[in-house]
Amino acid sequence: MSDSTATTEAPAEQPSTDQESKPNFARLFGRYLTEANSVMVTIYSLLLAFLIGGVLLIVSDEYVRSTWSYFFSRPQDALLGSWYLIRDSYLSLFEGAILNLNTLDRFAAGDAGVGDLLRPLSETLTYATPLIFTGLAVGIAFKAGLFNIGAQGQMIFGILGALIVGFALDLPIWIHLPLAVLAGAAAGGLFGAVPGLLKATTGAHEVISSIMLNNIAALFLVWAIGTDFLHSELSTQLVTKGVDESATLPTLLSSLNETLRVNAGLLIGIAAAVFTWWLLSKSTFGFRIRSVGFNENASQTAGMHIGRTYTTTMAVSGAIAGLAGAALSLGVFSTGVTTSTPLQYGFDGITVALLGRANPGGIVAAALLFGALKAGALSAQPDVPVDISTLLQAIIVLFIAAPALVKAILHLRTPRGGLVTLEAKGW
Amino acid sequence: MAVDTQTLPAMVDERAPVRRVKGGVTYAVLGLFLLAIAVAVLGGDRTTTIAFDRTLTDLHWAVPTRPVVLALGAITAAAGAWMLLGLPQRWTKFASAAAVTAFVVGLLFWSYSEPGTVFRAESILAGALFLSMPYIFGALSGVVCERSGVINIGIEGQFLMGAFTGVLVANITGNVYAGMAGAMLAGLLSTMLLALLATKYQVNQVVVGVILNLLALGFTSFMYDQLKKTEGFNNAFSIPTISWGPLADIPILGPVLFQQKLFVYVGLVMVFVVWFLLYRTRWGLRTRAVGEHPAAADSMGVNVNRLRYWNVTLAGLISGFGGAWFTIANSLAFNKDMTAGLGFVALAVMIVGRWNPLGVLAGALIFGFTTQIARDLDASGSALIPGDFLKMLPYAVTLVVVAGLIGKARAPKADGVPYNPGDK
Repeated sequence: MSDSTATTEAPAEQPSTDQESKPNFARLFGRYLTEANSVMVTIYSLLLAFLIGGVLLIVSDEYVRSTWSYFFSRPQDALLGSWYLIRDSYLSLFEGAILNLNTLDRFAAGDAGVGDLLRPLSETLTYATPLIFTGLAVGIAFKAGLFNIGAQGQMIFGILGALIVGFALDLPIWIHLPLAVLAGAAAGGLFGAVPGLLKATTGAHEVISSIMLNNIAALFLVWAIGTDFLHSELSTQLVTKGVDESATLPTLLSSLNETLRVNAGLLIGIAAAVFTWWLLSKSTFGFRIRSVGFNENASQTAGMHIGRTYTTTMAVSGAIAGLAGAALSLGVFSTGVTTSTPLQYGFDGITVALLGRANPGGIVAAALLFGALKAGALSAQPDVPVDISTLLQAIIVLFIAAPALVKAILHLRTPRGGLVTLEAKGW
Repeated sequence: MAVDTQTLPAMVDERAPVRRVKGGVTYAVLGLFLLAIAVAVLGGDRTTTIAFDRTLTDLHWAVPTRPVVLALGAITAAAGAWMLLGLPQRWTKFASAAAVTAFVVGLLFWSYSEPGTVFRAESILAGALFLSMPYIFGALSGVVCERSGVINIGIEGQFLMGAFTGVLVANITGNVYAGMAGAMLAGLLSTMLLALLATKYQVNQVVVGVILNLLALGFTSFMYDQLKKTEGFNNAFSIPTISWGPLADIPILGPVLFQQKLFVYVGLVMVFVVWFLLYRTRWGLRTRAVGEHPAAADSMGVNVNRLRYWNVTLAGLISGFGGAWFTIANSLAFNKDMTAGLGFVALAVMIVGRWNPLGVLAGALIFGFTTQIARDLDASGSALIPGDFLKMLPYAVTLVVVAGLIGKARAPKADGVPYNPGDK
């Protein structure tokens, strides 16, 4: 049982260059920009990721690649071609995620309503909703020093739990909807507690056990959809029954336009973020989580049950991931769940939690950013490969997790408190 | 309290009788389960057919299922009872092995007793060895990294990079062996990033490993979509099966050992090469020292971080080659996320093998066999267990093994701990 510790790097040299001149605002701001503090590392990570993404777009595009082969005879072809490719790709991501410029023109001319204008934003919020939950799930486990990579599987069980309560029971909406949401949380929580319990009792590392449970859950979903109990009577495709009207999450903006899919799941997500913030910083349980995450041995000496904290933290984490599943099967997929319903939301939760630095507010912001990337990438395909969102996410969080790398690439200064990265335990 | 018992070696002996009771109860229950199956489920007319399908194709050996399962159940239960009643310490392993073997063979007899299923012994064993290859390559790469003190959780990503690059280079050059070299290079570049981050930038290796997996997944999926727009970048390439002339006609041994693809021979040789390097050379001693006690190695003049850097980087050659197995050895084109979590199963194999190449070989063979049986039963349409549950088998076995073994298997002491020569 070796712990990986020592993730802060001591400041190499004290900033003592300009003691004689009084620091004015511009100088302070300039120093802030060239320092590897967490805000600037985040910003530079985003910029570097989009830069690397641009290079990969150029390299992988057949036409632009061909223009580079005669770069020395006609450099303008290659340079302009590359520029247009990058501009168009990122512009179409932007248009799919935030504001479509064509629709804006039509809106100005009076051909399109507010609803049409809000459509990309609604999509961004729709994709961000499950990410808020899975990000919170991974983040809360991080605080206890646990790396919950199993949000994907926990979410899948949340999908199934909410779905079953959603169609099998016949209740009025005020009890049916909350019950279905809670069923999702309970299913995810039970499934999430397993790796925590295994770690507490046998010492099995939660990364391996939760990945195995992810694979098992994915196969279980495929099997479950095909069973007579869940399978849709109306369709021959691999799709489940839909949930009752009384268990469907109401849409928020469909009065403006039928196609605006964002639903009340978003509100539950924000409530979950507030709850997580309260849990972590105001409750005894949250104190125990942070204490165990900070120093296991000291916590044990102080009388805390380490194993029990692992299990309960993973259960809470799994329950929040289960809510992501509930938001999917009662929301966008209320007419029926397919094998592609979970997408990669659980794995994306890892990147969301890392970018949000495991803090609830940061996680919501990160979920919005990655939700926008996903919405943009899905609307921009096939011109832009859909996996550009996964690629950009991975590059961004790679830099976030390795601030020393950003610092070295851009020759930034070490901030006063040292570089901060996340901790997780070894075997 | 599990942590305490590990740190106190004196308590291990006291725990041994307890474990025998646990094991005894488990085996007794499993044995009774087999007996119950034989009595209640299996009809007296059921037979299990065993065939030597590659060499002696005429030979079909139909065995009545019920008596065999009864006998094997009795052996399992008897071993359990023996362990419960108490037996000399040195017989414990033997009793365990007998119980487990009898139980597994009993399950196989039961599974292959469904009408229409035939246990094609030679195909299944040869397939099992072939399917254990990704586990061998992945776990060997893990062994080299973790023996040096760096956790390589990014094997999955190195597999993906190798699988993708292997096909891409083979398509560009038209040479499948160049593709295999390309796969190794891709693996090397992937681990080089891990090595750099782990040694020079001292990051958290588990977190970064997972991110590198996501990066590899994103990168290969992105490039797959981009290159799909043009023909000729992702055609399947295959390599011939090497047949060793008359040796290949020996029943069982021939198809298993002397009629395989290059990957199998490379994998088997690599096991012994890595074992020899680790335990019989100066490099191996230094590597193990760096993984166990880097400060001591440092004071003896070993450059800890440089050795770690190069070991991790070179381990990428092995996992990258393992990536080529997914595409080239299987004669497949690349597909998104085609490694399906096997890189993580390879990590479990490394733990089962207790960070030792020979143990890795044994673990990989068990996992390969499990995977092969699951596939074969799924394909033969045996209605006993739904196909999706059969596919869960390798993952479930990994879960059980990791939960059951990790407390007893000891990782290199400095595994995952960045070494900073400054703070001693």
